[in-house]
Amino acid sequence: MEPIRRRRFLTTAAGGLAGILATRVPPARGQQREISYLCWNNFAPASDKKLAEIGQRFTRDTGIKLKIDHVSHMGPQQAKYASEVQTQAGHDLVEMRMHFPWLYEPQLVDVSDVVGELEKKYGKAISSAYEGAHVNGVWRAVPQYHGMFVATYREDLFKKASLKVPDTWEDLYTVGKELKKMGNPVGIPISQNYDSISTAGPVLWSFGGMEVDKDGKTVRINSPATAQTIEWYKKMFRDCMEPEVLSWSDASNNESIQQGKAGWIHNPVSAYIVAKQRKLVTADGINHHRSLGGPQGRHETDTPRHIGIWKFSKNVEPAKEWIRYLLGKREVYDEYIMSGDAFNLPVYDKLQDHPVLRTDPKYAALRGEGVQYHTYGWPAPPSDKVQLITNTYLLPNMLAKAVTGTSTKDAIAWAEIEMRKILAG
Amino acid sequence: MAVRADDIPVPRGRPRLAGRVREWLDQESILGPVFVTPALLLLVLLVAYPFLMALYFGRPSEFIGIRNFVRLWDSDAFRQTFQNAFVFTGIAVAFKLVFGICLALLLNEQLWFKRFIRGAVLLPWVIPTALSTLGWWWMFNSLYSVVNWTGIAVGFMDPPGPNWLGQKYYAMTAVVTVNVWRGLPFFAITILAGLVAIPRELYEAAEADGAGPVARFWLITLPLLKPVLAIVVLFSTIFTFSDFNIVYVLTRGGPINSTHLFATLSRVVGIDTGRIGEGAAISLYLFPLLVFVVWAQLRFVRKQAY
Repeated sequence: MEPIRRRRFLTTAAGGLAGILATRVPPARGQQREISYLCWNNFAPASDKKLAEIGQRFTRDTGIKLKIDHVSHMGPQQAKYASEVQTQAGHDLVEMRMHFPWLYEPQLVDVSDVVGELEKKYGKAISSAYEGAHVNGVWRAVPQYHGMFVATYREDLFKKASLKVPDTWEDLYTVGKELKKMGNPVGIPISQNYDSISTAGPVLWSFGGMEVDKDGKTVRINSPATAQTIEWYKKMFRDCMEPEVLSWSDASNNESIQQGKAGWIHNPVSAYIVAKQRKLVTADGINHHRSLGGPQGRHETDTPRHIGIWKFSKNVEPAKEWIRYLLGKREVYDEYIMSGDAFNLPVYDKLQDHPVLRTDPKYAALRGEGVQYHTYGWPAPPSDKVQLITNTYLLPNMLAKAVTGTSTKDAIAWAEIEMRKILAG
Repeated sequence: MAVRADDIPVPRGRPRLAGRVREWLDQESILGPVFVTPALLLLVLLVAYPFLMALYFGRPSEFIGIRNFVRLWDSDAFRQTFQNAFVFTGIAVAFKLVFGICLALLLNEQLWFKRFIRGAVLLPWVIPTALSTLGWWWMFNSLYSVVNWTGIAVGFMDPPGPNWLGQKYYAMTAVVTVNVWRGLPFFAITILAGLVAIPRELYEAAEADGAGPVARFWLITLPLLKPVLAIVVLFSTIFTFSDFNIVYVLTRGGPINSTHLFATLSRVVGIDTGRIGEGAAISLYLFPLLVFVVWAQLRFVRKQAY
């Protein structure tokens, strides 16, 4: 080998140093390839374990060190995101819920290239994932999995009382009256929580209503469909439910059916899975049926999850590599989905009839044939204003006012004024 | 054998430094700032910095004066929150004051297990609020409410009992109850400290003049407790106005915003919806009023003291 001369050494070293100083990027060999990923505590703990296992394999296969942190869902997660954005420091990748990519759009890397590769392989991302992560023509996060709401009922009680499994929201009123007489009322929350919106949305959509038009600017809550929705809620509250639903948290409907009280609830599959895991006596009796329909079709709330990469990350490419590893390798993605026990379902068209749905006959209703899945506020794009309408619970509060004495007309007028003010603000 | 002063080994190095430090600390002008510095640091880091950041976030990208604050009045949720904050704080502080004085008088008596009881009284104040409020949440929960179960069992309530967290007046009662339960020890222990400081001779002289217990309380205890009460009420008013945990865990501001406070609504708007400026404006809304309350109360305390 030719010996390195002093002059050449000095020239190379000086040139390299100048390059590093100018670009502020250290040479690849010296860089620590390490990424950090913030995700929430999955409803299926086994899924978190599997994720850690996959992460270790990723490190072994690629040499990129992956640090996975978990944060409790909903509250702490949002506070953590806000603080990372404000300080421009924290994790490289973040798991995002529903419409979060819209909230953090300016802070998120364009990941259209990764989504393009995944769609080429698995088919289009499902509509709710598209609504949540495709922001103003750009994918700001990569659709990861979803968990939709589904009609959950006590099959054993229905059989005992020879009740017909409902197919529409009106059918539910018919069986709901009987259920209440049996001491097993329908459990639909009408309170300041997200489950309340998750049911109110599908009922409203099924009657043909909406809060805000798809232009995101025009309030459409004052409509005959909303009046029908309110009237339906009023009679459900009076004849099929108990006043406790006005105080319920997100967990209350799950607990009510698990503890043997509620005969029918609207919830993700978690109510059944937790009952099964905890070996509750009600577990065998709980089942799911097809989502309910109305005059304008069969709609359901979906809660898709996506993975976003912060713009302040210095490891965008390794971060994309992790997403490709987790979601882009079919065998790895399948492994991850299977570990979720139907909590986490795939979000791409060709994977909808996934083997995880055949692991338990009670998951059959999750195939959701003929059901349209949406996130909150549909059909309006989930801008921060539309999300303020969601987060200030205007829809469930309108219903709560109506079922506790306010006239239908006044309740709608109240919601309309509040929504208008938010959109004008 | 006589020992000369020169024979005694003089400690060198560290002991000399320690002596010098002791000398410094003997001077009030040095000792004062030394004692104040840790508290000042904590205040700067944990109060002043977040406060200034909130002010910074509260301003929009272009200067619009106080329009952000004025616009909040358009929101029904904000107007409801404004009303809730005064109702919640007024009722809770009043109850804490009355019960706090009663409890302090009781603790000032010669009781068995006095120290144990005084320690036990502090428990609600010591336990992390979020945890203790979760306990209360279970007690008010519609499915498992031990309050309703007991009320029904003793024939005090008709089944199914009050809908504690689902009806606006009950919900406000529930959050006020938990706030009073949590804040009572602060009042009791601080007032107790004030009670202990009242000279016994005053009571003895009053007794000799024929004053009964009620007269002694109105003419001696209460007037001499006024400065302590003013401080306690001042602190409690500020803490109660800015309460977050209790409402967030118990009701999340519901039903129909009837228990929202500034902090909880601020979180919904600022953190959950990402409208940081508006959220900061909500949390700072009462700042001018609270500054005035602090100024008025401290003025009152100074007048009482001199």
